[in-house]
This record gives sequence, C-alpha cells and structure tokens, in this order.
Amino acid sequence: MKQQQPPVLLRKLLKRIIAPEIYDEVEGDLAELFQERLHEMSMKRAKWRYFIDVLCSLRNFGLKRKLTFYNPLVMYKNYFKITFRNLLKYKGYSFINIFGLALGMASCLLILLFVNNELSFDGFHEKKDNIYRLDEVQSFGAVSEQKVALSMYPMGPNLLADYPEITDFTRYWTLGRTLVQYKDQSHYTENLVRVDTSFLKMFDFQMIEGNRYSVFDEPNNLILSETLAKRIFGDENPIGQIIRTGEGDENQIKVTGVFADVPDNSHLQFDALTSTKLWDSEQRRNGWGSNYLNTYLQLANNTDVEKLEAKFDDFLVKYMGEEVLEFYSLFLQPLSDVHLGSMDITHDYNNHKKFARSSVNIFLILAFFVLLIASINFMNLSTARAATRSREVGVRKSIGAYKGQITGQFMMESIMLSFMALIIAFLLSFVAIGPLNGIIDRNLELSFFFQPLHLILVLAIAIVIGFLSGVYPALVMSGFNTVMALKGSGMKSGKSFFRNALVVFQYAIAIAIIIGTVLATQQLNYMQNLDLGFKKDLVVTVNMYNDTNSKYELFKTELRNQSNITDVTATTQRLGNNLHQTSIQYRADTALINGSSSFVVVDNNFMDFFEMEILEGRALSDQYANDKAGLSFVVNETLAKELGAGDREVLGMPFHFGGNDTLGAIVGIVKDFSYNKLNLKVEPLFMSQQPWGWSEVDVKLRADKLQEGLAEIEAVWSTLYPQRPFEYQFLDDHIDKMYQSEQQLTKVISILSVLAIIIASLGLFGLASFTVKQRLKEMGIRKVLGASVSQIVMILSKKFTALVLIAFIISAPITYYMMDQWLASYANSIGIGIGIFLMVGIGSWLIALLTVSLQSYRVASSNPVETLRIE
Amino acid sequence: MRGTHLGEFEELVLLAVAALNDNAYAVVVKSEIEEKADRKVNISAIHTALYRLEEKGFLESSVGGATKTRGGKSKRFFKVTAYGFKSLREAQSLRQSFWNVIPQLSTQK
Repeated sequence: MKQQQPPVLLRKLLKRIIAPEIYDEVEGDLAELFQERLHEMSMKRAKWRYFIDVLCSLRNFGLKRKLTFYNPLVMYKNYFKITFRNLLKYKGYSFINIFGLALGMASCLLILLFVNNELSFDGFHEKKDNIYRLDEVQSFGAVSEQKVALSMYPMGPNLLADYPEITDFTRYWTLGRTLVQYKDQSHYTENLVRVDTSFLKMFDFQMIEGNRYSVFDEPNNLILSETLAKRIFGDENPIGQIIRTGEGDENQIKVTGVFADVPDNSHLQFDALTSTKLWDSEQRRNGWGSNYLNTYLQLANNTDVEKLEAKFDDFLVKYMGEEVLEFYSLFLQPLSDVHLGSMDITHDYNNHKKFARSSVNIFLILAFFVLLIASINFMNLSTARAATRSREVGVRKSIGAYKGQITGQFMMESIMLSFMALIIAFLLSFVAIGPLNGIIDRNLELSFFFQPLHLILVLAIAIVIGFLSGVYPALVMSGFNTVMALKGSGMKSGKSFFRNALVVFQYAIAIAIIIGTVLATQQLNYMQNLDLGFKKDLVVTVNMYNDTNSKYELFKTELRNQSNITDVTATTQRLGNNLHQTSIQYRADTALINGSSSFVVVDNNFMDFFEMEILEGRALSDQYANDKAGLSFVVNETLAKELGAGDREVLGMPFHFGGNDTLGAIVGIVKDFSYNKLNLKVEPLFMSQQPWGWSEVDVKLRADKLQEGLAEIEAVWSTLYPQRPFEYQFLDDHIDKMYQSEQQLTKVISILSVLAIIIASLGLFGLASFTVKQRLKEMGIRKVLGASVSQIVMILSKKFTALVLIAFIISAPITYYMMDQWLASYANSIGIGIGIFLMVGIGSWLIALLTVSLQSYRVASSNPVETLRIE
Repeated sequence: MRGTHLGEFEELVLLAVAALNDNAYAVVVKSEIEEKADRKVNISAIHTALYRLEEKGFLESSVGGATKTRGGKSKRFFKVTAYGFKSLREAQSLRQSFWNVIPQLSTQK
C-alpha cells in the first residue's frame, strides 16, 4: 500500500517554521500523528488537523534555533548607519549629490503639476467625449485661408434638425461687459453670455440654486455666478429678483439661478448666462453668412466624426448655395482639443488661457532632461566616490560579503539618498510654487501630489531614479578586487571613460538648453520691440458703449482741451487683435469685382494719431467732405498689391464695402502695419470712417504726465457719463499681452536652463574635486620637480576643457537644426548667429574651468610636503 | 532557584515521560497525557515542553527509531534525568506537606 503523505506545501511551511536542528524529529512526529488520524477520520479532516498542527508549531519558531551568520535586519541597520556616517563625513559631496537631485526633482514636480493642470482643462464635463466645437475654415480672396472659432447663428438648430447623429447643440454668444442695475446700484457683469437652454444640459457647470433644466424657461431669465450674485444682492436671496440692463420693460431681467464660479480650468469663462431667446428673430434665424458666435455640438455615442464632417459641405450648400464652398468649410474640434489645440485658430475669443500643446511638450522634455542631468550627477559622483569607499568594500568582502550583498548595499544607499532628495524637492517646490504661479498665471497646488495614488507614483519614480542611478556605481564597487580594495585603490585606472561620457552628455544637454533659451528670448524681445508700423506708446484706450457714443464729439473736444492730452481718436476695433473681415467691391477698368478684406472703421485722424506712414496719396482727414461722408478709403500695401494687379492705378479706384450701391474711392495707401501678432503675416486691410458708433476711444498722453493725463480723462468721463465707471487700458499692455503665452514659456525655460547649468556644474565640481584628490601625490611630485602653480592648474583643467569642447561639438549642430525649425514658424524671425553659439560655448567652458580651477588651484598652491607625506 | 521551576503542564509532561520509561517521544507523550488527563493537547505544546525541559536539565534525549509511518524521519526519545526525578519528588513532597496540614484544618472547623 502506498503511504499517504502529508501535503507537501504544509511540510515546506513547517520546514520554514522549525529550526533545522530539530526539524527531522518534529516533522516525523507530525507525520506519525497524521498517519494515525487517517485511520480515525477522513483524509480531508486529517489534512486540516495537520494544518492546525503546523500552524500551532509557529510557537516553536525560536526553539533550538541558533543565531544564523547572516541576519538581514542587523545588516540593514548597519547599511543605514554607514550611509549616514558617509553623508556626514563628506558633507560637501553629500550636499552636491542630494541637492542637485532635489533641484531636478523639484523642477520635475512643478512641471508635472503644470502639465496636469493644462491637461485637466474642460475635463469636468461628463459628456466631454461627445462634445465638439463647430469651427470654420474661411478663405476669402486675398486673405489666406484661416481657421476661425466662429460659426453662424442658424447653424446649430439646423444641424440638429438635419443630422440624427447630432443629439444636441448650444450656441455661446458673448454680450461682453454689460451694465446691470439693481435698485439704484449699477454693476458690471464682466462676461454676460447668451446660450441656448441646452447649455447646462451639455456642460456640467455646477448649479448652486435653481434647476439646470428649467432656469431658462422664460426668455428674460438670467443666472449669475456666486460671486456676482453676492456683489449685486449681498445677503439677499437673488432668486426671483429683477435686474435691469437698460430703460424700458423689455430690459427687465429675472434672476432664476446661481451657479458656482466657473473653475479656472474651463476654456469657457462667464459670470452670467442668459438665454438666446430674447435676441431671437426671424432675421437672425436666417442670418447665414454672419459669424459672431461659438456653436457646440453634442454627438451620439460612437459617431464617426470624419463621416459627419464630410456631410457638412452638403449642409452649407443646402442653406447658402453652391458658391459658398469657395469661402467656407466646417470642421469639428473635440472639446479636449480646444484648450491645447487651438493655436492655429484665429478669432478665438472664448478660449481662456489658451495654450500650445507644443509648449506643454517642450516643458515635459525640458523637465525630463533636467532630471536626467541631475540623475547623471548623482551617478557620476557616487562612482567617483567609490574610491573613498574601497576599503570598506574590501573589509566587507574579506569577512564574507557576497558580491550581491555589496551591490544591494549601494543600491539601497542610493535609493535612500533619492528619497532624501525627494523630501527636499518637496520643500523646494513648496517654496517655489508661489512665484511660479505668478509667472505662469495659474493656481497650481502641491496638494495634488498628496493624493494616495499620486504619492505612490512619485515615490515609485524616486525609487526608480535611485535604482537607475545607483546601479552603475553599485556594480563598479561590488566588482572591486578584494586585495586591491583593501589597499585602498579598488578602481582600476582608465575606467573613467564611462564617467567622462556622462559628463559630456550632461554638458551637451545643458548647452543645448541654454542656446535654445537664449534664441527663444531673443526672438521674443525682437518681436516685442519690432517696429509695428504704428506708435503704440502712451496710448490709453477707453471702451465706448451705445449710450456713450452719442456724446463722442463732445467727449473728444473736451479731452483735446486738457493740458496733458495730446490727441484723441476712435476706432471700432482695437489694434493688437486679428481684425474682422468684410466683403468688398471695387471697380477695376470697367468691371465691378467682389472680394474680401480685413477692415477697421476709424476716426479720420486715426492715421496721424498712430503716426502711420502713408506711401501714396493721403491719410483720411476731416478736411475732406468725402472722408466725413464715409466715401474715402485708405488701404494697406498688401491690399493695394491685390487691387493693383495688372498695373492698375489704385489711388482713386472706386471702392466700398460689399452691398453698397454708390462706391467711394481709395485716397491713400498706408505702409503695412502689424495689427496682429508678429508671427502672423499682415493681411489685406482697409480703413475708413463710417457712422457706426465707436467701440473705443484712444487717447494719447504727454510722456511724463501719465497720471495727470489719466486723471483728466477720468474727470471728463465722469462729467459726461456719470452712469458708467471710468475704465482704461494702455495699448502697449494690451499688445504685450498677445505674447503672454510666449513670455511665460521663455521665463519658465530660462529658469529651467539656469537650473540645468547649475546642476551640471555642481556635478562637475564634485567630480573635479575627486579627480584632483586622486592625483594629489602626482601633483606633489610635479611640484617638487619644479612645476609652477599655473602649470599644475593647466594639467588638471585640460581634461575638462576637452570634455566641454566635445559636448559643445555634439550639441551645437543639433540645437542649430532644432532652433532653425522653430524660428521658421515665425513670419518675422531673428537669424541664428554664430555668436550665440560661441558665447554659450565659451560661457559654459568658463563655468566648467572655474569649477575645476577652484579645486586644482587648491592643490597646486598647497605645500608638496603635505601631499607627499600621506602614505 | 530561578529557571528550574516546574509549570503545571511541564510537570505533567515530565511525569508522562517518567511513566513511559524508555519509550517516550512526543507523539506517545501526547497520547499518554490525553489518555490520563483526559484533555486535548496539541503536539506543538508537547514539543515546546519537552525541549524546554531538556534545556532546563530535567530531561535528556537520544535520537533513533525511524519508522515508515513517520516518513523515514527519526524519533527523539526522552529520559528523565536524576535531577528531573529529584525535582519531581520535591514537587510531590511539597504538595504532600500541604496535604498533611489540610485535614487538621478541616477537622477544626
């Protein structure tokens, strides 16, 4: 009969529990009991009892157990102790090592925080994957094709009706700053927006009071943000209150809801919403051709977006006729793309803190490289320090440490250091996050990293960094020959190739980053200081409204009478934006030709006010009756080129807005001026005066009398328009703001590049001091034989000079290529001079030299007796 | 004397070993105690007690007698040492001395 044996697994467990000295007997006893039980009970129960016996045997764990030779706990304690002793023994290196890594980690943490914030935009809408923004591609005549974030009033409803895959739509139509009155108090809503009733069903903006499905039931309903409600109503309950947007019954608006303030990571920003119903009319419903709002569509699940977009051409033809396709096509932009993917889209008025995805990527890449440089430092310094630890390794090995144990020890050490660096990195980020938020205009919070999942992730990354940067030094040290190690020279000479390669790599990255930063900053400065073609300085812009326009002439005259105001003009569109476009008509030879162009309606002294250069003809002027009647036009060079095709005379050419019966005439050609961002080409443009009412008045102040001038404008404004608070903006501020995204980018990159060179130099410093120390005796002998201080410094610095030179040779062409590509995306760009490369190259060499010389000079100037005595 | 104190269970095990004469190893001791004292004992408790008693010098042991039921593993036979017997007797006489007093007390009641 085959003997039944107790379960193998349990026996193995028992073997672990019971000390080997008595294991045989104990297992025998348990086996015997098991066999006995088999006669009395089922196999299953016997096994169970055996299991109980094994479990109870846990109490005998310590029985007869001798202390084993290798006790991991004791060893780990020793590792800790040695790690800390070494840290304290070489305070300088420990500081360089840990602090360098901490700097790298801190910049990485902050960048990740920022990137996460960018990616979180519009992420809080539950239906985000099905929501798309309807955008147009416009191509009008000479105006190059452009993507615009605009659509037409009738598009939304008709798309919904025509295509079953579209399940809902909402329009988003800003009314902008609006004055509302409650009782006797006037308040501005910063951004009142007209939306369709479906808006709150598609987007999950949080309601505080009122039902999101019924707040827009009546046309004159309005909902407010929490902050605005508090400002207008104080502690009163806002629901059901009537506010006024003007005189008359039709301007009485009822508050039906309050929503939580729109979070900063939403591309739509508004503080009051009302329904489009109040503005709806037959004319608007058929208003094909006018683009003035955003349309958002909600698609059914699993809709093929490309197929749907392909049908849009038919849609346009159906409502606007065959020829429309020459001018328009439609496309859909996923909600998740709106914030980061709209850099090539113009007329994008409702896109809060719009940012370039490419910049996010640049940040990520830079952060990675800075961390890489820091990790390489860590690796390099640890390897270099191996020499000082060789005796320790020798002793450990000679008393029986395995190679694996030595490796383990140093790996653990490096992971521990990595953790310390992480803690310091958190402290650094904590200090740096305030200023950073100021620079990039965001509200980042470190608390993001203290959510369990993220914390685990960060810790895991710290472990990985510790592991990766520790593995090479650990392998080097564990590979020491025991006898050599005990003698104190474990490192075989000539093995520093790897370390040198790392230094070259570090410096190559740092040089590349610095050159890139310098070029980017130069480009930005160049653009900001480029001659725009008009004088933007000292100009104050003041918004105009329907009720203020009626007294424009008086306002203008009064302002001109002030002592600190030099001139006043008015316009319908502010410079420093993409300007609106219109259809145009002109007569060339005998044919009446239709076209399109950007335009701006201006007061007749506009060109003189901004000191624009007139190339041919004359500027508009009040002296001419035609100019006053809106029949004179001034075109820019680009439009003149188009109109003058085929050697036609542009001056005097009959010209007007599209749709007018009588044509005016072109009276002047103005030199192209950059009304938009300078990385964009100047489009065709014309100017004329029309009686449409101004949207802004521009006031030029006397140079050193800005405050007085502002006070004068305010005084005039308050007397003429007591109903409106006085507000202003400087035009150059407004224009600088266009480059905000680039400015933020270059600022952050500058910081990162400084960090990169600091960290790289820290590493070099540590490395140099070790190399120098290793060659102490050599230098002593050289000195005894008559070498001078400068010769010795030279010998020691030579190698590092070579390293930096190699790094430069590697990184310069790559950087040149990449920056060339980047600059090509700007219409006005600086050239890449060889000077910058030389400057940065020599600069980094000097920094490296300085770092190394500090060390070598100390050796060179020391007394050779001191250095030679050590044995 | 410290360390030579006999616990209740230890005394029981020691007695069992003594009673079993030359055939005392853990499994038998366990069944002996279970039989005599009518109580369930886990084998691990017997192990603990036996090795402790040996450590204290009450028992000595030798190895031998592998059988098939034990999967070829040897047994450890325990024997009470002279010192063990002495301690057992001392314990007994200590108890006896108490018993000698108890009846007198109870009759005076």
